Amino acid sequence: MSIHIHHISKTFGSFNALKNVDLEVGTGELVALLGPSGSGKTTLLRIIAGLEFADAGEGSIQFHGVDVTNRSAYERKAGFVFQNYALFNHMTVAENIAFGLRVMPRATRPDREDIDKAVTELLRRIALEGYGSRYPSQLSGGQKQRVALARALAVGPQVLLLDEPFGALDAKVRKTLRKWLRQFHNETKVATLFVTHDQDEAFELADRVVVLHEGDIQQIGSPQQLREHPKNEFVADFLDCVMI
Amino acid sequence: MAAIIDIQPQNANRPRRATSDSLISRVLIIGAAVGFMGLMFVLPLVIIFQEAFRKGWEGFMEAFDDGATMHAIWLTLKVAAITVPLNTLFGLAAAWCVSRFQFRGKRFLTSLIELPLWVSPVIAGMIYVLLFGAQGLFGPALKEHGIKIIFALPGIVLSTIFVTFTFVARILAPQMEAQGQAEEEAAMTLGANGWQMFWRVTLPKIKWGLLYGIILCNARSMGEFGAVSVVSGHIRNKTNTVPLHIEVLYNEYQFVPAFAVASMLALLALVTLILKTLTTSQRRAA
Repeated sequence: MSIHIHHISKTFGSFNALKNVDLEVGTGELVALLGPSGSGKTTLLRIIAGLEFADAGEGSIQFHGVDVTNRSAYERKAGFVFQNYALFNHMTVAENIAFGLRVMPRATRPDREDIDKAVTELLRRIALEGYGSRYPSQLSGGQKQRVALARALAVGPQVLLLDEPFGALDAKVRKTLRKWLRQFHNETKVATLFVTHDQDEAFELADRVVVLHEGDIQQIGSPQQLREHPKNEFVADFLDCVMI
Repeated sequence: MAAIIDIQPQNANRPRRATSDSLISRVLIIGAAVGFMGLMFVLPLVIIFQEAFRKGWEGFMEAFDDGATMHAIWLTLKVAAITVPLNTLFGLAAAWCVSRFQFRGKRFLTSLIELPLWVSPVIAGMIYVLLFGAQGLFGPALKEHGIKIIFALPGIVLSTIFVTFTFVARILAPQMEAQGQAEEEAAMTLGANGWQMFWRVTLPKIKWGLLYGIILCNARSMGEFGAVSVVSGHIRNKTNTVPLHIEVLYNEYQFVPAFAVASMLALLALVTLILKTLTTSQRRAA
């Protein structure tokens, strides 16, 4: 399961949010999209999910070799974890996780027992057994984060997209969740792209890091490559700033 | 004297807020507000019921033992049954459009939604007479095909729709704008189509506001006088709605029946008030 992005551009009015972006995320890979705010990283993530559409032209997006450029968000079914989780507040945790399975067309939808089983299994994997009947308002930030992840994974998405997954959490929870996410990813092996503005987070978690600035990809490489051989001044400057 | 001396130290200890008023001004302001409400709203309501029951329960019931009255009630129910569902749909569509999309002329559309609030209902009726009446723009063409809009049910429904269009849209638009659409986007990435997204995610979020809008729309569509008065033609047993029928009864010096029927509308207003209070507290809780 992989993501291929070719020549994606996006303009809002006269503002170039993304300029001819090319990117690949391989099967089982965890890639960080790193950049200052306004660099276009969230826009790129939303375009991959189909929540926004790139400028018409030669650009294309493929999930595992299948062209999804012109498919709508609900046809693409990219697992997406929103910055503020966007849990359904009127549904319980279990109903939230089951949502993606329950809206499947009747022909492919698992029966009720299988859905319940899948939900129980996911709750176990996110270490929230027994929380199924709670409502999102009764959960802490870190718990909501994990429910959002379980909800996205329930439908067995081809790709997983995370928008600032730890942005709204305090430092301690962040650290624990980071480790947990890395482990979780090692088990699921879904091609994962996550957006962050935090270098530490990107370097600790990701197999590869993509540095984005003003809609342009500055450099792609492993954390080590980036640290040792920053390609240009921006990358060096951006990474240094935080290392101090 | 002793009482005053006892109270003073307590008063001295009580923290004084900068915004607190003196006792006299508080009594005056609250008194004026309560007095005004009593005089303008509660007293008329009491009088309506008092007049309705002046000849006792039997006199009250006699008012409804009348063909024209029952016809008026049926007509009003029919008008509401057509108007309210349509305006619920229109209101939802308008609120969706205004809160979910950015486009040119959005502000114009928003003020257009409020049009019924600042246009006199008489004008709302007049425009339909000018459009569909015998001397109106489409009058001759409609007559040729035997379609009657003015002085008939379609005209009454049209003008009622015009007057009550605003309620559902006006209540939902700001609410939907404030809630944003992150949950809808989440539903889409989980594979929900537009229909499923609306029923499972959007509707549960807005249900109390929607119910509130429907209640107000219903109350207004049953009580509308001005616009309906222009297009209906006041034909007894044909185009008289409840408010128009009350006027007819009153003008014929049939006071008890007039107030008895009026008390039905007053009752509707009270029920609306109770439902409105309930849905408002639910909206706050949600």
